[in-house]
Order: sequence, then C-alpha cells, then structure tokens
Amino acid sequence: MLLRDDLQNGNYESSGECASSVITPTHSIYLSTSTNPYFNLSFEDWLFRHAPQKEPLLLLYRDAPCVVIGRNQNPWKEVNLRAARAQGIPWVRRRSGGGTVYHDLGNTNFSIHVPRTTFDRGATAQVILRAVRALGIDADVNERNDICVGGEKASGSAYKIVSGRAYHHGTMLIATRLETLGDLLRVGKDTMITKGVASVRSPVCNLAQFSETVSHDTFVNSVVDSFKAEYGVHDEPCIVNDTDDLARIGYIERGMAELPSWDWAFGQTPEFEYTIKKSFAWGDVTAHIHARHGVILSCTLQGLESELGKALEGKRYGFVEDAELGMDVSGMEEVVWAWLKEEMSSYD
Amino acid sequence: MLIRPLRRLLTRSTAVSHFHTFPPCLSSKKILQQFKLADIGEGITECEVIKWNVKELGTIQSFDPLCEVQSDKASVEITSPFDGVVKEILVKEGEVAKVGQGLCVIEVDEELLDSGSAEQTEPASSSTPAPIIPTSKFVEDAASQAEQISEEPSAPRRLHPMDPNYSPPSSHNANPENVLAKPSVRHYARQSKVDLSRLLSGSGRDGRIEKKDIDAFLSQQASSVSADCGLAAPQAQAEQDVIVELGRTRYGMWKAMTQSLDIPHFGYSTSLDLTSLHSLLPTLNSHIPEHFNPSKSSSLPINPSALYPAPSLPPVPESAQFTRLTYLPILLKTLAKAMMAWPVLRSSITPGSANGGGKPTLTIRPHADIAVALSTTTGLYTPVIPRADTHSIYSLSSQLKHLSFLGRQVPCALTMNEMPKRGATVTVSNVGAVGDGEYAHPVLVPGGGVAIVAIGRARWVWDVSKSERGERRLKVGVSWSADHRVLEGAELAAFVESWRAYVEAPERLIGEGI
Repeated sequence: MLLRDDLQNGNYESSGECASSVITPTHSIYLSTSTNPYFNLSFEDWLFRHAPQKEPLLLLYRDAPCVVIGRNQNPWKEVNLRAARAQGIPWVRRRSGGGTVYHDLGNTNFSIHVPRTTFDRGATAQVILRAVRALGIDADVNERNDICVGGEKASGSAYKIVSGRAYHHGTMLIATRLETLGDLLRVGKDTMITKGVASVRSPVCNLAQFSETVSHDTFVNSVVDSFKAEYGVHDEPCIVNDTDDLARIGYIERGMAELPSWDWAFGQTPEFEYTIKKSFAWGDVTAHIHARHGVILSCTLQGLESELGKALEGKRYGFVEDAELGMDVSGMEEVVWAWLKEEMSSYD
Repeated sequence: MLIRPLRRLLTRSTAVSHFHTFPPCLSSKKILQQFKLADIGEGITECEVIKWNVKELGTIQSFDPLCEVQSDKASVEITSPFDGVVKEILVKEGEVAKVGQGLCVIEVDEELLDSGSAEQTEPASSSTPAPIIPTSKFVEDAASQAEQISEEPSAPRRLHPMDPNYSPPSSHNANPENVLAKPSVRHYARQSKVDLSRLLSGSGRDGRIEKKDIDAFLSQQASSVSADCGLAAPQAQAEQDVIVELGRTRYGMWKAMTQSLDIPHFGYSTSLDLTSLHSLLPTLNSHIPEHFNPSKSSSLPINPSALYPAPSLPPVPESAQFTRLTYLPILLKTLAKAMMAWPVLRSSITPGSANGGGKPTLTIRPHADIAVALSTTTGLYTPVIPRADTHSIYSLSSQLKHLSFLGRQVPCALTMNEMPKRGATVTVSNVGAVGDGEYAHPVLVPGGGVAIVAIGRARWVWDVSKSERGERRLKVGVSWSADHRVLEGAELAAFVESWRAYVEAPERLIGEGI
C-alpha cells in the first residue's frame, strides 16, 4: 500500500493493477475521466516529470469547453477574450509550445511520452494516424505533423522536451462545435505585434464528418491499441479522475493553482507592441503600448498632452483600475482612458 | 615518530612499486565555457529563448534547468551541462538564438571538463570524467599511443545531449519499419553505441532485436578492435626520440602529485595473518545470498515459502552480482570496524580550514567512507564506498564488483555519484592483484583522506614466531602511508593493531553481529 508521502517523494514500486484511490505514475496507459483542463494539464505534467524515464506512456483526456494557448503565446492576440467571457468559456496557457486550440467534449486529447533520446515527432504522429485509419477514415499527416482528412486539419500538435523525456500531445476533433472554435480564435488585433509564436491558422474538420462510428470511446480504444502495438506494451489502461487522492498530490495541486494564476496565464506573455489609433472630436490619438510579461513598459500617446502614458508604466496590461492611475482623469483624458481600457481589456 | 620507509621490516629485498592515487578533485582553476545551443533535431535552425531560469552571476548545478527555448511547436527545457556560475547571458528572453550560437557563458572548475586544454569552447559532459583514450588490451603500449591520440577531437566520448557536437541517433536507423526492436532495446543499443541497422535480424519474435543480440555484436567488435591495437603497438616504437603530450589522466596525476608534496607522509608496514579467514572463505562462498548470485539458486525439497513468502531482498543489477567472494571485501569490512573505533581515521581536513593561516579543523564523519583504487584501461580512479561499516561483507563484495564494472567501461562509467568531491577518509589499494610486490609506499593527495593502505598478495609462509616447530600461515603484506599533520605514528600503529585484531580473529564478527 503506498503512502501519500511516498507519492510525493517519488518512492514507487511498479504494480500491474490500478488501485482505485492510489495512483502511481508507473502505468503505461492512463485515461482521465476528468474534464477539468487545469487538472488534466497538471496531471499530464506530473506524469511527464515522474514516470519512469525509459518507458513510453500514453494519456488520453477530454476537457470541458476551453481555449488552450501555447506556452509562449499572447492571449490578447490569440483569444477573443470578449467572446470567451460572454460564453463563459475559460482559456488556459499550457506548458508545451505551439499554437492555440479550442477544446470541448467533442475533442479528444492524446499525449505520448517517451525518453528524449528516442523522441521522433513523425513516429508518434504515425501512432495516432494508424489509430484514425483503423477507424476507417482516410487520414494523412501533413508537413507539420498534423493529422488531416481531405486537406483540412482534424488535429493540432505540440511538443515539450526536457533533459530526459519528451512528449507529443495534440487534439483530435471528433465532433467539436466548429463555429464556437471559429468565434473564439478569431481576433482582429492586426496591429498587435508579439515576439512569441503566432498560431498557424488552418481550416478544420471533424472526424465525425467521415465516419458514423467514430466517437470519443472508439477513438480512445483505437489509440490504445495502436500505442500498445507500437511500443510492445500490454498493460491495461489506468482510469483516473480528479476526485481521488490524485488531486491532493502536492505537485498536481500546485500545478492546478499555478495555471489559472495571473503570473502564469498573463505573466508569461512575451514582449509585444500594440499600436492603436482612434479619431476623437478634437483629432486623432495614437497610442503605442509596449509590454512584456504582461506588464506595461511604456505607453506613448500622440495627439494628447497627458501624464496618462507615464501613469500606465509598470501596471498590469489589461488590469489597470482607475484608482491605480494615481491621477485624476477628466475631459479628453477621460475619454482616451476609457478607449485604452476597452482596447486592453482582458474581460477576466 | 616513524620515519619512512621502514624497509627493515621486510625480510627480503624488494622491488619497490610506487603506487599512486588519483582523486576526483584537483586544482580548482576556473575557466569560462561558452554553452552553445545544440541541434535539437528535426531540421530546426533557430530557437527563441523564452525564459532563463537563472540570473547572471547565479550558480547552477549540472542537470538543473537552465533556460527554456521554443522552436516551432516544441518547447524545450535546456539543462546545464556543468556545475558553475552563469557569468553572462548571451541571448536574452525574447531573442532568437541560432543553433550553434552561444547561449551563455558559464564559469566552471577546469577538472570538470573532458579536455585538459582551455581553448576548447564546446561544452563538456560532466557526467563522465573519463579521458579520451581508446580501448586497448596492452596498457603500456596503448598508453603512449593514447597520449598522442588524446588531443584529437574525434574520440569516442559521451557527449551531453545539448552539446552542439552531439548527434542524436538518426531516426532512419531507429525507424520501426526497417529494424524491429523495443524502445528499451533501442536505448540499450544507443548506450552501447551500436548502430541497430548493422544487426540484420534479431533472435526475438518476428526477427526483433533483443539485448543479447547487441551483446553478441559487441563481443564480435571487441575482439576485432583488440586485434587491431595489438598490431598497431609494435609500430609505435620509433627509431628517434618521440615527444609525447601527457593525456588527461596522466596530467591529472602530475598535478595531484605536485600538490601532494605539501603533505608530510610517514609509512608503516606489517603483514596480516589471513589463515583464519582462509578457512572461513569456502563456507562464505557456498552461502552467497541469492540476490547477489541468482544463478546458484538452491533447490530444496521442501519449499520454505510454501506458507508465506520468505523475506527476499530486491534484485541486484547484473553488474553487482558475483559468484566468488575474495579477501578484499572482508578486509574492507574489518577495516571499517576498526575505523569506527578510531574517529581520527574517519576524519578529513575541513576544506578551506587550512587556508589563510588560520588553525585548521578536522571534520569527523559518523561512518567509515573507504575509497578503492581502481586501475583501468582508461585511467586510475578512486571511487568511494560510503558508510562501509553499514554494509555486510557480501554487500561490500557486490559494490566492489559494480564499481569495477563501471570503471572498466569505455568510456568510464564512473560518475560523481561514485566519486563524490568529498572523497573518503581512507583509501585502499589492492595492488597485490596486479603484481607480487612486497612493499609499497603509496602517496596521499589533498582530498584523498588521511591514510592510504596498499595491500599486497597473500602467500603461504612458514611461521616460526608463534611456536618453535613452526607452522604454515597465509600472510599478506600491508603498507600504510599517512598524513603526519593529522595522525601520529603510534596512533596509526595502534589502529593497524585494531584492524589486525579483527582480521586475525574474524569470529569476533559473529559476536558483534555484523
């Protein structure tokens, strides 16, 4: 019987069975029944850091509707924050690189972990491709290692590599609400120039368009079989959820607390510059905002003589309260400030 | 007060064999090493630095996360290849670094690098301190060959994965469509530096390559390599004077010995009577516990585990299994026991306490850490057996086997794990295994402990000291050298008598419960 201390300190013995309340990172296949994206991402990270380094591992999960941006992306640029807020859909920054995706229960996520030395994007993509083909769908892999059907993307991928281990994880659109996906990922801020990674937009499709039998369950079974065949694994999948002792493992708890925090969600935004212009009654005002790690470095205003720009320095972009300005705004300044606040808004 | 050497203790004239030690910690000269962005593979030519985990002038340990970079869809965490101080960050967060470009400059201790020359700018692997010397059976000839070859960069040393010269195995060789092998077998192949595509088919199901196929391939290779070296050796003897550069290990020895001139040595030799141990050895050998010697599994007609599994210890890796117990682990065990009774033999000069003219202090450890000199084709090492007093004789034998296995790998598989910076307090050199010398005057170096003993070769002698008629006794010569700043001659002599009291009456171990 394993103690929680053992789990936290990393003392494990590998066991063939999956006990109902005590989960170890020593299995080869995990299926999460939780739809909490904070839990699933933290659980994935826990497995990544704690599973035996030389053994391949597979994790499959689904999230309740949410937008997931890449490690080094700019949420203000990638996510339609107003639409997300209006629909009550949260957004999350994940730990792997790559672009922005939309998750809902019609989308199934896969995560394959292998030793760093044997990591090969093409090979892991093939494992998923074989699973999709086994369901009778004529799919392909494009040059960016994404699974496509008929020229449209059904899956997006991202990777994380550390010294001993690497993972390839991705989405698989089975029956996602594509119009919601479109709304939330459509942002018009062309004048926001970010140093981070911009998403590569592509037309998407659902696997359900090509097969009547494809579903989360059939896809999961097919991937499990394909994974077992590729890596010579015979273990049965271990089913986990976020209500057992897992959620109380320190590492996972900390991960779940970190992901929604300002420091991670907004504070990891790379440097960006945003230039906006508006015509007011008295003339045009151009604002040039320079921010880094979610904090405004400078804001220069042309067309308005004001201390407003200076007052914004050092404040959190998108989170500045009126009181924080430390100055009275009235007249033209008030109008310009309202405009800036709206443009920067995080709707959080 | 004893004066070295005490030749008069020996009855015959001897060939004096000078035996040297080589500790892992040498001069602490610091050099600046530029750490370059390695090829992450997949055709990626540049990455953006997302985050630095350390600030300028911050210290870093090898394998600590150093920074995170992003390329395309991959977020890569880069770990530090060595211990040191990050002197300068060359590519800031948000900037792009090209593959091969310097990411930062780290100040490291010189001896942690693979190459002795300071001009080299490639980051070195800190996990293996092995020098660049190719395999050879002929130690002397190969040594002169090796010193010439060691300056060439094309030597087979194990590179840190982030080293720009590291070439990850090409995916074509590991392509599952061409070669069938499980990932664990592929990894073993990689570790053994075997190109899987050279094994046409394996012995496993569907022609899968198994670990034993790789082993068979390697032993084929080894026999052809040693044949080559054998032929090359005679050609190395040129007609004229040849100037040879010192290779890394030899130069390391040079530096260490120069430092050892600071230590006032005194010697003390005696011989231990192993006759009692000799009669114990067959019994101990026939009862080597199963987890150390699984091949010899006893098949009892009645199964002791029929009711409930008898306690069994966790299995031990093959490299730590042994089939024959020798005197050395027993001598180490008795030495550890004596060291527990003598705190001064568990002491070392507190690092830094002797500098600056202040009064030095001694640090006494609660357990007996014993270093064992290991002479291999790649060099001389002194890995440590920590807390030797807490181990049984069998366990010590297993550890010795494992250490010598690691030491004999090419390149040497001993790491800072086996050779910690603080070293041991007593070093043991089993030079009797190499040559039948009768006396040795081993040398201590700073960090090598307070005493070193060279154990000779056991031999049967006719002993008339105990009875007039005389009897046949098995004796082994032991030669001690000790640091006279810490130990008094009488202290060492009395300590050796304590050791002898265990060696010559091993039945005491039963009473004390090992």
